[in-house]
Amino acid sequence: MSAVHGIVARIAREEWRALFRDRAAVAGVLLLTVLMLVAALTAYEHQRNAAAERARYQAHANGEFEGQPDRHPHRMVHYGHFLFRPANPLAAFDPGIDGFTGHTLFLEGHRQNSANFGDVRQTSLLLRFGQLTPAFVLQVLAPLLLVFFGHAAVARERESGTLRVLLAQGVGSRQIVLGKLLALAGFAGLALLPALAALAWLAAGGHAPWQPALLLAAGYTGWLLLWTTGVVLVSMLARRGRDALLLLLTCWTVLAILLPRWVPAMANGAVALPTRFEDAIHVQREYLALGDSHNPDDPKFVAFRDGLLKKYGVARVEDLPVNFKGLVGMEGERRSTELFNRYAGEAFDRQERQGEIIDAFGWISPALALRRLSMAAAGTDLASYRGFLEQGEHYRYTLIQGLNRLQAERLAYADDTNPARENRVSREHWQRFPAFRYRPPPLDDTLRRAAPAGAILAFWLAGLGTLAWLLAGRLGRIAR
Amino acid sequence: MNWLTFELRLVVRSRLSVAALLLLLALSALAVWSGIHEVERQRQTIARLAPLHQQDVAALAARYPDSPTAGSAAYYTFYDTWDPPTGAAFLALGLRDVAPYVLRIRALGLQAQLHDGETFNPEIALPGRFDFAFVLIYLAPLFVIALLHDLVSGERQSGRLRLLLAMPDAGRLWRRRAGLRCALLFGCLALPAAAGAAYSGTGFGATAIVLAVIAASVAFWAGLSLLVATRPWRAVAHATALMGAWALLTLVLPALANVALIRAIPVHQGVDLMLAQREAVHGAWEVPRQQTLDRFLASHPAWQHTAPLPAGFHWKWYFAFHQLGDESVAGEVREYRAGLLARQAWTVRLGWLLPGVGAQGVLHRIANTDLPAQLAYQDGIAAHHRAIREFYYGYLFDERRFGTADFARRPVFVPAAADMSPPWPATLALFALAAAALLAGLSRLGRLRPHGAE
Repeated sequence: MSAVHGIVARIAREEWRALFRDRAAVAGVLLLTVLMLVAALTAYEHQRNAAAERARYQAHANGEFEGQPDRHPHRMVHYGHFLFRPANPLAAFDPGIDGFTGHTLFLEGHRQNSANFGDVRQTSLLLRFGQLTPAFVLQVLAPLLLVFFGHAAVARERESGTLRVLLAQGVGSRQIVLGKLLALAGFAGLALLPALAALAWLAAGGHAPWQPALLLAAGYTGWLLLWTTGVVLVSMLARRGRDALLLLLTCWTVLAILLPRWVPAMANGAVALPTRFEDAIHVQREYLALGDSHNPDDPKFVAFRDGLLKKYGVARVEDLPVNFKGLVGMEGERRSTELFNRYAGEAFDRQERQGEIIDAFGWISPALALRRLSMAAAGTDLASYRGFLEQGEHYRYTLIQGLNRLQAERLAYADDTNPARENRVSREHWQRFPAFRYRPPPLDDTLRRAAPAGAILAFWLAGLGTLAWLLAGRLGRIAR
Repeated sequence: MNWLTFELRLVVRSRLSVAALLLLLALSALAVWSGIHEVERQRQTIARLAPLHQQDVAALAARYPDSPTAGSAAYYTFYDTWDPPTGAAFLALGLRDVAPYVLRIRALGLQAQLHDGETFNPEIALPGRFDFAFVLIYLAPLFVIALLHDLVSGERQSGRLRLLLAMPDAGRLWRRRAGLRCALLFGCLALPAAAGAAYSGTGFGATAIVLAVIAASVAFWAGLSLLVATRPWRAVAHATALMGAWALLTLVLPALANVALIRAIPVHQGVDLMLAQREAVHGAWEVPRQQTLDRFLASHPAWQHTAPLPAGFHWKWYFAFHQLGDESVAGEVREYRAGLLARQAWTVRLGWLLPGVGAQGVLHRIANTDLPAQLAYQDGIAAHHRAIREFYYGYLFDERRFGTADFARRPVFVPAAADMSPPWPATLALFALAAAALLAGLSRLGRLRPHGAE
């Protein structure tokens, strides 16, 4: 047994020696390491700056809100509030869609706004070339490096005739392949090392929870192992090194460059999204049909009024113990929010259907599966963004209804309907509203979203591994 | 022309080359087709929205058939604006997938409306569009490399190199051979692009520049491929070096430059101006109304003669403070735009060095889908918004009644003609870069000697 291990190890060692005699391979690994470090440092710094900036803006907006003078609560409903999406710590590793979504959300009454000022509209087209992040380096560049320096692993032995010599000397063909795999996996490990160190640092330093960091580490390890296996497999099958290289480069181009662009474009065509323009018109129409909550005499609120009168056992709204205008405001906000949520939910559901189409192509291009896993673990996918918007919306609703309740409970109906009167409530009330706290998606959610992608990667890895194992057994016979 | 049929037969005999050429043709045709499809979809969307919007206004006009003031009409009426795609937009869809090309505005503060985003799936925008620009910038170089990297080493491997080099006009042979392959590659890219341009009515000048950009891209990568292919290495080493160069020039360096650019020119004034505008607008409710109106009249003397404010609410005060809100952030708006334009300017300059970035810049300018196009659309919206304000001010300040007939008199948006002139310095720089690479490659090819082939 140990003799077998010894042979595998020796083949791996020889392959390593060959790899590191190749100055280009050394330069490649060095370049990748430097890129990874630059990417990790700049992404981390960018992320830290963004986090600090958004926290500063949030504190500023909270201060402005609390610092508003005594005024009518409905003025505060229109004054509204700003929320800033906190930067996710693991976004330093994979910023995902962060550059494409806005992170400034304006909350106001009677409206749901979109998050504005995403980076993509604020940069030139350079962002579309891809962002230099650890995820990009590992997803796109590291496999290319493996292709360059691994394609000849077995093919070289065949071309130079040493393969036959080795086999004739009684070395098992699987041992040869295993040795080559081991060597290339070690090479991949070198490329992966800085990223793993960065992840470990993020997790150990308490900057990020350890489970998603571990998931990221596992995902990218699997990804590079997948390429390692694929490269050795092709190298085993190809007659010549250059055939293996051409084939692998084609695979890389299709899997890592072409499909990740083409599949989303196709999904976008398959499930159309309405423009905000027409949604706004449709929403506005339905909104008007709900009644004007600024007008307590609006006929659309008659049933609501009658219900209230009955509940309190009085005959006129003036006799209610609470301010009817405030209650109409609350009812109107409830109705309109239901309406907005329906449209927002539909828009997101459509986008998620697009995402499902893309995910289904993960079986063809594992790069798509890896991207899903990576973004889910880093909390930078659409679902996390939706989570932020929904929490923001929940906060908005609570805030607006709190203000409406102030109007209902702190202002008398007679005063409130008198246009000549200045109705104001104390500014202390603004200060009592709790600040927005973003809750990152629970770990279960993250795992649930990442699981199918993880399964696809595992399937590919197992498939390629099995294929390599089977074919390695017949190495002497194939492509002689 | 005997040599041509001979060389063609050589290309055709190599199944790999034929497959590569056909694949490139298919990819660029697919990209052109999907680009045209997408542009068509955007045009249909714009066309679909116009009647929908008309209905919306008509309903409003029915709701306010006659009011003593234009206030409600000004408050509730939305105005549609749109940014029609140009004929060349199918080549490079640019920012049109993430920025709105239709936007509704009304007479309230512009800055609170101008930066609204469009509904788009960020996961789809993230990898970038599959359009012709993508095929030309990312994929085409790979095909050039595939066809040219073993131009010399392939002959060596098959044992014909010594013979070829010993021939009297060896230089011409190489040039012909490389030239033919480049011409075929150019054809695979240019034919679909030209067909698309003809179909979508792109102007002759723009099409010519697009073809020149395609030629320049092919020439640059051909030159680089020849420079490497004439080195006395094995084919695998050539391919490795060229792919490395490709990864560096199209993936790594632009990404690095983006990082540098974002750090060098921070743009966060967008948020600042939004926060400042809100304070200005909502603070107005706490300021005595006449004081606000006086400030407004000081800078808009045309309305100075109008009646003083009554005790209660008046729409003219309301719209005046909205305009003052916009004016109070004019400085921030200028800074914000200056920051965006500075980033754009540096990207264009980067294109002088990186052919991919250069070609991207020229194509998107001609397609009018880049950041300047976005800003031009915003300028058009701002001008329209000015017209809307002036329209209503006439009614509000002179206290004229507003009815159905006045709805019909409201200003109509006219999209500005797109400025599609290419950035000439960057375009010429791209051509110069390509010519230099090609000449260097050709000259090395001419100096290929048998001893170098050993």
